[in-house]
Amino acid sequence: MGANAKDVELTERLNLIEAMIAEGRRKCESWGWTFVLWGVAYYVAFSWAAWGHFAYAWPVTVVAAALLTVVGFWRQGNRPGTTLGRAVASTWWAMGISMFVLFDALGFSGHLTDPRISLAAASAMLGTANAACSMMLKWKAEFACALVWWAATVAASFGSVDTAVGAFLVAIFLCQIVFGIYAMVLEARRRRVRGAAHA
Amino acid sequence: MPELPDLNPVVHGKLRLALLTLLAGVDEAEFTWLREKTGATDGNLGAQLMKLEEAGYVSVEKKFVQRKPQSLYRITDAGRAALTEYVRALKELLGSAI
Repeated sequence: MGANAKDVELTERLNLIEAMIAEGRRKCESWGWTFVLWGVAYYVAFSWAAWGHFAYAWPVTVVAAALLTVVGFWRQGNRPGTTLGRAVASTWWAMGISMFVLFDALGFSGHLTDPRISLAAASAMLGTANAACSMMLKWKAEFACALVWWAATVAASFGSVDTAVGAFLVAIFLCQIVFGIYAMVLEARRRRVRGAAHA
Repeated sequence: MPELPDLNPVVHGKLRLALLTLLAGVDEAEFTWLREKTGATDGNLGAQLMKLEEAGYVSVEKKFVQRKPQSLYRITDAGRAALTEYVRALKELLGSAI
């Protein structure tokens, strides 16, 4: 084997290693649907609570969305875990549990009197989770979502109740629905590229 | 002068290299996932995984999930060290070509 042919073969091995590393990472990116699911869940809970069923609208909707999330990940099948995937998933689960505990505790204790405080706290927590994941994944679009959530936190802290609710609804639309659909489009595009490469 | 003197022949095989690289990035992987990612046939994949197992580079756990057999593969410390050494040797051999 000539020196040039040997170099080509060895370079092929390096390319193969890079391709397999990329294949292994690709499994971590099927999360877009969860953003859309939770965005819709927030709107459902808001609408339901507005009809006068505040006491159980949020707990029931949140538990239902959590169950659907678990079922959705279970249906995704035999995908192995990575440290990065676990880190991202842990951030969201921890944030979700914190929100559930905090707002249930405030609600049942009767201290959830000013909706601006709960909206500011929820926005700040969602901003924290988005920011942490954007830094882990080096994803600028998700960091933009964190900025929107933090802006909603400020609006809820300084504005009227209507302003706080309006800012929260806009943040849900942009950071859950729009961002989730954007992530799903990216995932579908990557699957198409991978399918073409394997054909 | 023999060709590729410093490259581990167990790791150098294309499919075995692909398998070790995939397994290095995950906690554990099912046979079916490895087949999907590499595009290999069942027979070839099984044979190459067996060679890696015999070399002590991967470990396998066989169990039944909902009455279906499942084979879970993991890279061992020896496998990770062999892959790291292979990549180092590869880069050294290629030198300025990369």
